[in-house]
Amino acid sequence: MIQLFRVSKSFGTSKALQDINLRIRKGEFVFVTGPSGAGKTTLLRLIFGTEPPTEGQILIRGINLNRIRRTSLDLLRRRMGFVFQDFKLLSRKTVFQNVAIALEVTGERPAIVRKKTHQALKAVGLSKKEELFPLQLSGGEQQRVAIARAVVNDPLILIADEPTGNLDPDITRDIMILFRSINLRGTTVIIATHSQELMKDTEQRIILLKEGRMLRER
Amino acid sequence: MGLRNWAYYSKHAFINIFGNRLVHAISIGTIASSLILFGSFILLFYNLNHWMLEWGQSLSMSVYLQDEIDQKTKARIESLLKNLPSAELKEYISKDRAMEDLIDGLGVHSGLLEGLKENPLPASFEIIFKDVNIRQLDPQGMKEEIEKIEGVQEVQYSEEWLDRLEGLVYVLKVAGFIIAGFLCLAVLFITTNTIKLTIYSRRDEVEILKLVGATDWFVKMPFLIEGAIQGLVGGVIALSTISLLFLLFSMDKVHIIGLPVLEIVFLPMAHLAFIILLGLILGLIGSFIAVGRFFDA
Repeated sequence: MIQLFRVSKSFGTSKALQDINLRIRKGEFVFVTGPSGAGKTTLLRLIFGTEPPTEGQILIRGINLNRIRRTSLDLLRRRMGFVFQDFKLLSRKTVFQNVAIALEVTGERPAIVRKKTHQALKAVGLSKKEELFPLQLSGGEQQRVAIARAVVNDPLILIADEPTGNLDPDITRDIMILFRSINLRGTTVIIATHSQELMKDTEQRIILLKEGRMLRER
Repeated sequence: MGLRNWAYYSKHAFINIFGNRLVHAISIGTIASSLILFGSFILLFYNLNHWMLEWGQSLSMSVYLQDEIDQKTKARIESLLKNLPSAELKEYISKDRAMEDLIDGLGVHSGLLEGLKENPLPASFEIIFKDVNIRQLDPQGMKEEIEKIEGVQEVQYSEEWLDRLEGLVYVLKVAGFIIAGFLCLAVLFITTNTIKLTIYSRRDEVEILKLVGATDWFVKMPFLIEGAIQGLVGGVIALSTISLLFLLFSMDKVHIIGLPVLEIVFLPMAHLAFIILLGLILGLIGSFIAVGRFFDA
């Protein structure tokens, strides 16, 4: 599903990632962890195609991101969901509109957009808050809206960057249950976190990064 | 691009316009003002051209006769003039009639002529060349030819001042084109900056649209439609204003010394459509530049 060959990424003279080799299979649940500045977010952005690697190759479902055309990358992103650390919700749009936007860009019929959006919001437990605006929601609820938007297209890959960063333990647990249920439906899930608590007792694969290098895997 | 997408683009273009009402109102107002100026120039040039064509198509010629010619010579001249291409012999003005016309023309000052012992004015034939291209006629050559006819004293025609008017219209046209060019640039500048403002005010939305897989065109289209709507509305307002001002202030004819000389006409349909189309195209190009710059950056 995802393959990285000798991938490095530099920002000016600063090396964010160095010589990363990685293979993630379809349906895997992977944690990417490490201290702040280890390169977790950069790794996710490279996989999502929002940053090009300085060196190396990245293949998503056999497609080389170095050679992909801009339009093809747009189409590929429709099969990938990204939950951002800062949620990236539009404050002028309602919860429903924020989620529906991911379907509207695909040119889906309005009736299907409505149906799938309702389903996604029901799955994250926000059915009753569809008409509210993001700023009327708690941090945990905003996070769930971001997750609903990321999964509304039934993506093959779901990427989440510190999805429980500022949330209390109860909400963190709920959100992790949500990610596991999405993974059980066959979606490959990659979560970047520096929270050891989140990975405690987990059977899932963990990739540890430090100073831009992959230290070990479990 | 399906109908569904167009519905989405148009809906979002209108949402953007209503969301930034003030900026768009100012922009539309400025576009309309520029197009009003532009339309007024077109109206002026259209009328100048119309008048020139009218006059050009009715070149008049006065053929003055020598005093001592007999009836036979006069008849021969008349016959020759009638056979000139496209010529219409309007009338024969005798010496006495010429004097009467002069007295009428001078009005209260006609007393000036009282001292004259004999009538110095020549008789003349008045000819009009109608519905012909003045340039194909060669009035100067014709004048020289007619002056060679026995019994003809002098020929005068109405082209000289028409040449001068044409020169003036040409200068005005060049000035008009330059001004119109600047106005178009102004409209482009305004539209580009308004759309740029609206894109920047919605850049978070643009970013998210791209992150969820929207193609560039999907993001650009509402902004392009927004620019086109601005230009279109500006064009319609400009046209309505010009029409209203024309109805309120124009006379049917321009009068000189109480006599109707020039007929004022409004722009034909094609010119009106051009003004609206120009607004639309300028709006579209302006927004095209704005989104292009944003996406390049």
